[in-house]
Amino acid sequence: MNATYLRLELLRALRSPRYFLFVIGMPVGLFLLFASLYGDGTQDGISGRAWLMVSMSVFGAMGAAVSVSGRIAGERQVGWTRQLRLTPLPGWAYVTVKAGSALLVALPALALVYAVGAVVEGVRLPAAEWAEAAGWSVLALAPFVALGIWLGHRLTVDVLGPLSGALFTVLAVLGGIWFPVDQLPAALRGVARSLPSYWLAQAGREPLAGSWIGWHGIGVLALWTVGLALLAARAYRRDTERA
Amino acid sequence: MTQLLLAAGLRIRGLTKSYGPVRAVHGVDLDIVAGETVALLGPNGAGKSTTIDAVLGLSRPDAGEVAVFGRPPAEAVRAGLVGAMLQSGGLISEIGVRELVELAASLYPAPMPVDEVLDRADLTELADRRTTKLSGGQVQRVRFALALAPDPQLLVLDEPTAALDVEARRRFWASMRQLTAAGRTVLFATHHLEEADAYADRVVLLARGRVVADGPATAIKAVVGGRTVRFTLAGADLAALRRLPGVTAAEAHGDGVTLQSSDSDSTLRALLAAEPAARDVEVAGADLESAFLTLTGDPR
Repeated sequence: MNATYLRLELLRALRSPRYFLFVIGMPVGLFLLFASLYGDGTQDGISGRAWLMVSMSVFGAMGAAVSVSGRIAGERQVGWTRQLRLTPLPGWAYVTVKAGSALLVALPALALVYAVGAVVEGVRLPAAEWAEAAGWSVLALAPFVALGIWLGHRLTVDVLGPLSGALFTVLAVLGGIWFPVDQLPAALRGVARSLPSYWLAQAGREPLAGSWIGWHGIGVLALWTVGLALLAARAYRRDTERA
Repeated sequence: MTQLLLAAGLRIRGLTKSYGPVRAVHGVDLDIVAGETVALLGPNGAGKSTTIDAVLGLSRPDAGEVAVFGRPPAEAVRAGLVGAMLQSGGLISEIGVRELVELAASLYPAPMPVDEVLDRADLTELADRRTTKLSGGQVQRVRFALALAPDPQLLVLDEPTAALDVEARRRFWASMRQLTAAGRTVLFATHHLEEADAYADRVVLLARGRVVADGPATAIKAVVGGRTVRFTLAGADLAALRRLPGVTAAEAHGDGVTLQSSDSDSTLRALLAAEPAARDVEVAGADLESAFLTLTGDPR
């Protein structure tokens, strides 16, 4: 594991203007807006504000994790991936740095929305529940890390921008992040429960209701993680294969 | 042991590589002794980059062998023995010059100190600048710094001065001389004869995927640095023209005659005396392309 590489990879991620706009700005903005509109009720056994807070925190974290795709696509575009092949860096170390940085840059996104929840929206939770919500959210980000690495090695920078915008909207709407799944048409509710975004959001919310996502949720997340990781591995190998 | 290791710099045997139907290199043999600076000279498409990719282990040869300090290329790269500046290749964004060099250095087992790299690549003043705020020549210097980061024994540079102005070129080669004075081996590709002549101990000429000449820069220059004499003459006797002083090759297309000459002054005097009917006489410095045609005797 290369600490210098990981540190610089994190710095690069945090310096990106896109990071502040989509990972920090948008989730906080949406949280404040939705909380003022729907914050007063309760949903799934927790207060509306807490429900929205967790939803928007995982929305930002998801964006942060998948944003690794933009860095990878940019590196491929300028030929950096080829330059890396002229170094002793093994493939597994490269993937570890990319995955590690994707997870780590998701943490500020979670923390910031939690802070806004506690300070601005008055969300009060026992310390254990804050920690459990955060911990489960991070674990449930695994498929999104794999998704980011796959997209980065598969797509060009030009395609990636608009595509990830559309993808996040679909994942957020169908996954019950922006509003509860039971407000979706019946036909789409089944789809929602097979999406990783649904289980990501549930992973963060369930601890607040004194529960967890259960083996079914874990299974869906694990399947997505394995499937996307296989696709990512294949795309990575094709990118770095010796001609 | 050290002597043994030093003696074997780079060794290429029978390197052959095709891209689809295009044969990029065909049976290239090349030996470079440690400490030598060798120019790989040739026009575009001669096989320079293909040869370099094989030396770096970036492509797998169809046939032949490459050994870098007695090891397979990929192993030499992993040991940090090789630094390279590829022809294409930009810099990643959201990172400063020093940070990027730190990143590169962190990947090698025994890197050159970052400050030394910055100094040698003439980047000390630009150390805190973001990579996206650099000029073309500055980017080229950063890419050179990345090649230095492993503190390599072999530096491989594919057209390293392509984006540099005259002054930057001079400084680049001055820095290079310091490095080679410390016993490093350098292989650089160029299509400028002057650059090969000025900075290489030895020049290897590549044309259409083969080595067509290999020798000290002065010898190569005598071969490819000649002149072309063109004129119009009906019914030229090519055999007689080939016997004129300085003439190395003669050919005719209709009434148009072309002579390659290593001494155009003597050739001209003799030509005008022997063939008073020759008209429209032109003398031109031979460009590399036509020099290659002379050497390979195989008009494209």
